[in-house]
Amino acid sequence: MELINRWRAGDGRAATRLVGRHSQALARFAASAGERDGIEELVQDTFVRAFASLDSFRGASTLRTWLFTIERRLMLDRRRAERRSRETVPVEESDHVSEYGALDGLIAEEAQERVRKSLDALSPTQREVFTLRVQQGLSYKEIAEVVGSTEGAARVHYHNAIKTVKEFLKDE
Amino acid sequence: MNKCIDSDIQEMLPDLLHRALADGERQRVQAHLATCESCQEDLEVLRTVKSAAVFAPSIDVDSVVRQIPPYRTIVPATERPARTRVVSWLVAASLAVVVLGGGSILLQSNGSLASRARSQQPALRIAKVPDATKPSPPESVARSKTGMQPSIPAHPQALALAADADGLSDGSLVQLMNDMDGFDALPASEPDPVISVDSGDSL
Repeated sequence: MELINRWRAGDGRAATRLVGRHSQALARFAASAGERDGIEELVQDTFVRAFASLDSFRGASTLRTWLFTIERRLMLDRRRAERRSRETVPVEESDHVSEYGALDGLIAEEAQERVRKSLDALSPTQREVFTLRVQQGLSYKEIAEVVGSTEGAARVHYHNAIKTVKEFLKDE
Repeated sequence: MNKCIDSDIQEMLPDLLHRALADGERQRVQAHLATCESCQEDLEVLRTVKSAAVFAPSIDVDSVVRQIPPYRTIVPATERPARTRVVSWLVAASLAVVVLGGGSILLQSNGSLASRARSQQPALRIAKVPDATKPSPPESVARSKTGMQPSIPAHPQALALAADADGLSDGSLVQLMNDMDGFDALPASEPDPVISVDSGDSL
């Protein structure tokens, strides 16, 4: 809250520190949640939206949890928009090729590829809960806040997810 | 390998990875891990997943910060000046008055048109029946036939208006116009049905 208050007081460096502190976590969450393109843009939009409505942040949760919540909403909006555009514009074969080509460049190691595949085997909610818990270290209470669910439901999603991932990695 | 049934420990494994456990809890989890193969396997999976998150692109912090508007330019709705709020309310109230007033005028005009149409309908029906070239029966005859007292004054020429007006003399037309000038715009009540009875072939 101190950095937020400093930014409100006109200290531009406070914004830089806030962005620097949380931007990579937001990028990792987006990548883990299945976003492939435009992660930088997504993180940027998240911060712009967050700073525009910073007065509504009361500090009941951590700032990072609140940022995850905003980013998740933006991802859902994006997916809805993509679904709509897919319904109207047919996807070209070349799009698939370029997407996988870019992905190959991003995933350098075989282990990472395996993990990505195992996460792809989860449902969207399971993947969100699992990555927020394992990669971001959020508590179940915070996860429930981000995904708009309950702590109990988040626990169930986590246990189902780790079971699936474990089996997938064992079979590979 | 047996599946571990200690769900407390299982749930603390991600916190162990993130060094988010208190000393006592950390020692408890580590003691459990020393003997539980299932949890060791789980922890290894979690380590793999956590380390695999590195493929996220690095974010240019400065370019993100450049897109953030300064705090002063963001004016939340609750902090708008009081004068602006008053003007907004006045505009809204004026619009409401215009809409409600216009709506009621429209409704009223529609209603009077409808009632006019209703009041004119019997007159048209009346006008079809008698022939204007023939002399119309005197009022007293009409009264005696029906036995009813008409509540409106009799206007024989007016009854003939929708029929053939060519047969009327100039004097009759002037008389008719004068009589029409004396008509009320709207009838005080529904037209008396006795007039249509005068035709002799209805009812």
